[in-house]
Amino acid sequence: MKKQGKTILEYTLLIILACIFIFPLLWMIFSSMKPEEAIYVDMSSIKALLPSLHPSDWLETYKTLFARFNVPQYILNSIVYAVVITVGSTVVNAMAGYAFAKFEFRGKKFLFGLLLILLIVPVETIIITQFTVVHTLGILNTRLAVVLPMMANMFFIYLFRNFFMAVPDEIIESVKLDGANYWTIFWKIMLPMSKPAVATVGTLSFIASWNDYLWPLMVLTDTEKFPLQVAITNINTTQPVYTNQVMAILTISTIPLIIVYIVAQKYILQGLGGSGTGIK
Amino acid sequence: MNTNKRENIAAYSFLTPAFVLLGLFLIIPSILAIYYAFTDYYLLTPDKRQFIGIGNFIEIFKDPIFLQSLKNIIIFVVFVIPIQVGTALGLALLINKQRKGNMLFKVAYFSPVVLSLVVISVLWLYLLNPSEGLINTILVNIGLDPQPFLSSPDQAMLTIVLVSAWQGAGYQMLIFLAGLQNIPSSVYEAGKIDGVNKWQNFFHITLPLLKPTSILIMITTLISAFKLIIQPMVMTQGGPMNSTITPVYYIYQTGFSDRLIGYSSAMTVVFGIVIGIITLIQHKATKEDETQ
Repeated sequence: MKKQGKTILEYTLLIILACIFIFPLLWMIFSSMKPEEAIYVDMSSIKALLPSLHPSDWLETYKTLFARFNVPQYILNSIVYAVVITVGSTVVNAMAGYAFAKFEFRGKKFLFGLLLILLIVPVETIIITQFTVVHTLGILNTRLAVVLPMMANMFFIYLFRNFFMAVPDEIIESVKLDGANYWTIFWKIMLPMSKPAVATVGTLSFIASWNDYLWPLMVLTDTEKFPLQVAITNINTTQPVYTNQVMAILTISTIPLIIVYIVAQKYILQGLGGSGTGIK
Repeated sequence: MNTNKRENIAAYSFLTPAFVLLGLFLIIPSILAIYYAFTDYYLLTPDKRQFIGIGNFIEIFKDPIFLQSLKNIIIFVVFVIPIQVGTALGLALLINKQRKGNMLFKVAYFSPVVLSLVVISVLWLYLLNPSEGLINTILVNIGLDPQPFLSSPDQAMLTIVLVSAWQGAGYQMLIFLAGLQNIPSSVYEAGKIDGVNKWQNFFHITLPLLKPTSILIMITTLISAFKLIIQPMVMTQGGPMNSTITPVYYIYQTGFSDRLIGYSSAMTVVFGIVIGIITLIQHKATKEDETQ
């Protein structure tokens, strides 16, 4: 009897907490699926966390939003930035990781030390001089300015190096005897044998670039180059502002992340070095 | 000798893309920030740039907004760390048990993590609207007074603390959970034989064994908390009455909006060094954790 009471108490607590954590997400999604007036009418009842009772209303907001703003363009921009950054960062950082793991070259110690020193530079504080560099390079307001600074990453180089060091030298030597060059070894041996590293770096790069806001906001002036995150604040400040339309753009920008978190969940935690893969 | 040379060339060609990019967007900007900090560089008149010694450094510490931003970030950090990490630990302990529906609860607690900082900021801006937001509607319905939240200088920063903790706790819950599951059950069994009760169990077995995980989580939270910018930028624009302006946000405002590159760089140097030192400590702490 006592035990049963405890179970009920536990479940009550778990459910209350679950409500606190998930209600904003539900309100966001379902407010986008009802007419503007209904959001405020429903506010005092449980209907606030339900979509419109008429399924024909569900996509209405999205239709109006797409008619007012070039949302497909923003979606495409975000996808292009995220894909280019994900692929670029995987290749660029893996290449550097390969050099540190499997080559003996002059200046190796110095460059690796430099890498470790760069790990402590807080990137967020140097945005202004990053901006002046991009300004000097003459690539302000280009898509290149959005993607280039997001690619090279010390953590990812370090992660790849650790994974590549575990690839046995005998395998590399044997394919070398078959006439493979370094580039072939990199593509055909190193990368395929380090799939968890590739998946981790790919997932983390994708999420970081999809969520990036400040940097694209600084370097882009043309609306048609905006990624979704910047478009959100743009839509949220373009009069007239409708709550349901804002919730619709928030929902649209969140859907790809939900998919990524479901598909790649086992790689997400590694970002904090939680599983001893060596990222620090 | 020949193969050695070939290996050198190959290594450098593999390193080039990464180091060119790091050079352009990390090394050069860092050096420039240090250099500009000692000049009066104004973006629109680059030719008139002059070396002014430590003038900027003296000025920033007389700047009431910069001092306010330092005070604000300390308030943020002091509140967000115990609230967020404590919530994460609590959730992990609750969920670390075999029961029906556990997976659903885990998903619910984790759900805010998938929202970007811009999304949570805009979303909560609506939820916290003083006159017609959902939160005040709920407060009024259960008989409480509506609150001004983000429009009050007293409540704005604490509101941002709660929103940030709500967003981040789920991720740290998973890390704690991994830490909890790494504790071998034999330890608890040994405790059982010694007649240890539940609370002793928690304070003398679970908590000490979670210490490395907790330290790692606290320091990483500390570092990212110090860099707070998106939430105040989107939710309050630093207001009301500068109560939510943060150092990184002020660096952005002076450097980007006001184009005072020199002045802004001085703050970058000061604040960057502070965060750099904390990061160094973190690396030390995690290294020790590894050797344990």
